[in-house]
Formats: sequence, C-alpha cells, structure tokens
Amino acid sequence: MTFDELKEYLAANFADDLTLLDTGRHEPVYEVKAEKLVTVCRRLREDETLKFDFFCNLGGVDTGERMEAVYSLASYSKKIRVDLKVILPHEKAEIDSVQEVWPAANWYERELWELYGVHVKNHGNLTRFLLPDDWDQGFPMRKDWDAPDFIRMPEL
Amino acid sequence: MADLRTEEFTVNMGPHHPSTHGVCRLVLTLNGEKIIKIEPVIGYLHRALEKICENRTYAQCIPIMDRFEYVTAMSCNYLFSNAAEKLAGIEVPERAEYLRVIMLELNRIASHLIFYGVTAMDIGALTPFLYGLRERELIIDLFEMTCGQRLTYNYIRVGGVSRDIPAEFEPKCREAIKIIREKLIDYEGLLNENPIWLVRNKGIGVLPPELGIAYGVSGPVLRASGVKYDIRKDDPYSIYDRFDFQIPTRENGDCYDRYLLRLDEIKQSLNIVEQALDALPEGDIKAKVSPNFKPPAGEVYSRVENSRGELGVYIQSDGGKKPLRVKMRGGSYNQLQVLPHIGTNCLVADLVAIFASLDVILPEVDR
Repeated sequence: MTFDELKEYLAANFADDLTLLDTGRHEPVYEVKAEKLVTVCRRLREDETLKFDFFCNLGGVDTGERMEAVYSLASYSKKIRVDLKVILPHEKAEIDSVQEVWPAANWYERELWELYGVHVKNHGNLTRFLLPDDWDQGFPMRKDWDAPDFIRMPEL
Repeated sequence: MADLRTEEFTVNMGPHHPSTHGVCRLVLTLNGEKIIKIEPVIGYLHRALEKICENRTYAQCIPIMDRFEYVTAMSCNYLFSNAAEKLAGIEVPERAEYLRVIMLELNRIASHLIFYGVTAMDIGALTPFLYGLRERELIIDLFEMTCGQRLTYNYIRVGGVSRDIPAEFEPKCREAIKIIREKLIDYEGLLNENPIWLVRNKGIGVLPPELGIAYGVSGPVLRASGVKYDIRKDDPYSIYDRFDFQIPTRENGDCYDRYLLRLDEIKQSLNIVEQALDALPEGDIKAKVSPNFKPPAGEVYSRVENSRGELGVYIQSDGGKKPLRVKMRGGSYNQLQVLPHIGTNCLVADLVAIFASLDVILPEVDR
C-alpha cells in the first residue's frame, strides 16, 4: 500500500477521528483528539487492511506553547507506516495509556511522564525510570528547563 | 522435612554484572534458583543525548548519534543523516549511497561478530570471543583507514559521507570478506553441534511471535521467532532495493535460533558488501550542504534495520538551524522490555544466556 492509498483509505474510514496535518512531503501525520486516542488506536490495530500492530515509537514534544505526543506506528505484514499526533495543553497535560492496545507502550509512556510531565492515565507504574530515584528538579526535557551546570554552545 | 521453611528472596543482578553488557540492573525474585520475577532497572547510562541534540545544529548532532549505539555507530550516523535529508530535501550522490551501504553492512557484520564472541563468553566459552574479535579487527581496520576512527566514526554525514575510501580499501575489503567466509566455517564447527552449547541454548528463552509483536520487538530476535520482517526489504531505504539478498528466518525463537540467525545474517551481509563493491560508481561523495542548513518546519520519523532491530529517530524542525526535538528509538529498548516475560520460570544461569542472545546494549536503552 502506498502512502496515497493509505491516505485515501484513512480518509474514507477514519474521517471522523483522524485529521491529516500538513507536514510537507513526508509520511502522513494525523491528529487525534486525546479523548478518542484509545478507541482509534484499537481500530487501527484491528482493521484487517491496516493492521498497525507494530508500536515503533512514542515521543513527547514541547514546542514552548503546547505539548505533543507523537505515536509512530507500523505494520509487520502490510508494509505501511503512519504517525499519530495528540496535541495537549502545556500545563497539566493528561493522556490515556495505550498499553491495552500495544503492551510495548509501557516504557515509552513512563518516559513521557518522567521527562515531560505528561500524566498518563491508567498506566499503573509511573515511577522513576531514566532519572535518579530521588530526582526532584522537574521535567528535564521541557524547553524552559536548563540544568544548573548547563553551558550553551556559542552561536555559529 | 515437613517443617522446612522456604521463602522467596530478592537478588540484584548488576548493575556491574559482566553479562549485562553495560550497566543494567535486574532485580530478581528467586525461589531457590528459579526466577519468579524480573524487574529491569535502567537509567545508569542516561546521558540526555536527546536534550544535547536540541542545542546543536544538525551537523553537530551526528557525533552525538555515535554515542547512542556505539557498536553499530554507522547505522546511527546514517539514521540521523537520512532523517535530516528527508526534512531538508537533500539528494545524496550515487557513490555516497554505495559507500554508505558498504559501511552499514560491514558494521552489521562487526556487531554480529561481537555478539558471537560475548554470547559464548557469557556462557563460559572463551575461544569464540577471541575468534570473533580477531575477525572484527579486519573490519575495524577498514573503518580506521577510511575515517580514522575505530568505534565512533562520524563518517556518514548529511548529504553524503565525510571522505572517500582510500585506494587500498577495496583489495583489503575483499580479502576480509574472504577470510570471514572461511572463518565462519570454523565458528559453526566450534559451537553449532557442541553438546554444552546445545544444552545451554536449545529451548531456552523461547519468544513466541505474538509476544514479540505485542512488545514491538524487531530485528534478528523477532526473525528467529519466524516473523519475516526486515526494514531493508519491507520499507527500503538508501539503495537496498538494488541488491540481491535473502532475509533468513528461524522457527523456534529460542536462544539457539537467535544465534544461528545472526550467523546467517553475516553471510547475507557479506554478499551485499561484495555486490556494492562490484557496482561502486565513480562520482561525488557529498552533496553541497551548508553546515548551518535550516530545514523547513516539519517532522519526520526515519528508521533503519540495525543489528539489534529497528533503529529509529523522530525529528521535529521548527525551521531553525537546530532541531526542536530529537527522539531516538533503539531495538534494545523493546527487547529489554520483553525480557521479564521470557525470562521468568527459568534458572539464573539461563537468564545469562537469554540476556546475551537478545543482544541488548544499554547505551541504546538509556540514551
């Protein structure tokens, strides 16, 4: 399935849930509303034509004004790939866990919580992970966070 | 004996255990010598590479990627360059693509040779370690004569490669291929039918394909469970669609199959290197790219087939000369996540074999 066919299929079957974002010429990125995330993910995984059963990646993004969670999905059998994006408020962001769809999401969601402060609902194990156990200095991947001994490189 | 008191106890395996290939702590709950529960504790090697990348230009990020997965640093170099090229729409010259494929495949072989050595050493056989590192040295010498580095290459750059191969590269490379092909027969003779090796590996740590898929496992570990999934074929990047090679798979998904599969992959990679050397065209090795180039705002998730599964990077650009966000994804991350599921109900000694056969390296997990 080519990207154009994938776009057509998603436009025909997921029109209510997925909004195509304009990101130029790359692989399609769709926006999903946070409250629909788990249902849409389950449908994408169980759809016979798509079968998005490979959870590749989940990355948080802090753009300065808002938080984003970007899910990269692929299919083991159908040779297709898609990105889903959930846009969240900058403060008190909350997102549902997709572990019931892909168990692989567990560690990625822990990381999202730990480094960006996005609370993951129904996760079950939001404990310190990459950072030290006694870490109390906030969420280091946020744009407004600088380490005390952080030296900015000179502008070229 | 009726009043014999038994209790479960907890043991730390690591963080400095020699068989954890880096600094990983496994908290084991044991009943006798049987493992009831495994809890991996990671983060000892967290160097905040993603945060560092946000403060650097795209060209400056590439040496950082070397430290992400240092056993196959070429893949990481390629991965980031490829993602940045997709973002900025840069065309790579033909010769550079061939050089990249040669380096990627040589690096895959070097990585599998390390696997061969350290896996056997974890289980108690020292000779394979010496064999594996001896042949790996031939490949490392090739890298050294090309880019001056033996581990962190910084060779594949945005737009091409940093320098052309020297004149003596091709004969030395062909010689190395010939030697490794011959030595592979020794390798197989040493372990394939070795009774100790069979007892320690056959039927140990079976990963059912459904479990692997649920936990996002990829690469040789998943192919040893019978799922034929290789990004070089299923989502081709660079010029892999021009080469004739097979994707080996195995059925049982145990430690032994994972070992056999990696030896099969070395043979396929040798074929690819040979084909690429035969077809290597003349021409430029680098497109003209400003060191401070600014890709347009956008985002890309790029992925390559590494010796440890899918290696991916997500880059978001806001139109500036530094990336807004770089998220790295390594195959080891998912393989370590699935370890508690395949490692329970086995013996502590078997856990060493399972951990080794998953070929996890920790810098890739912790970043």
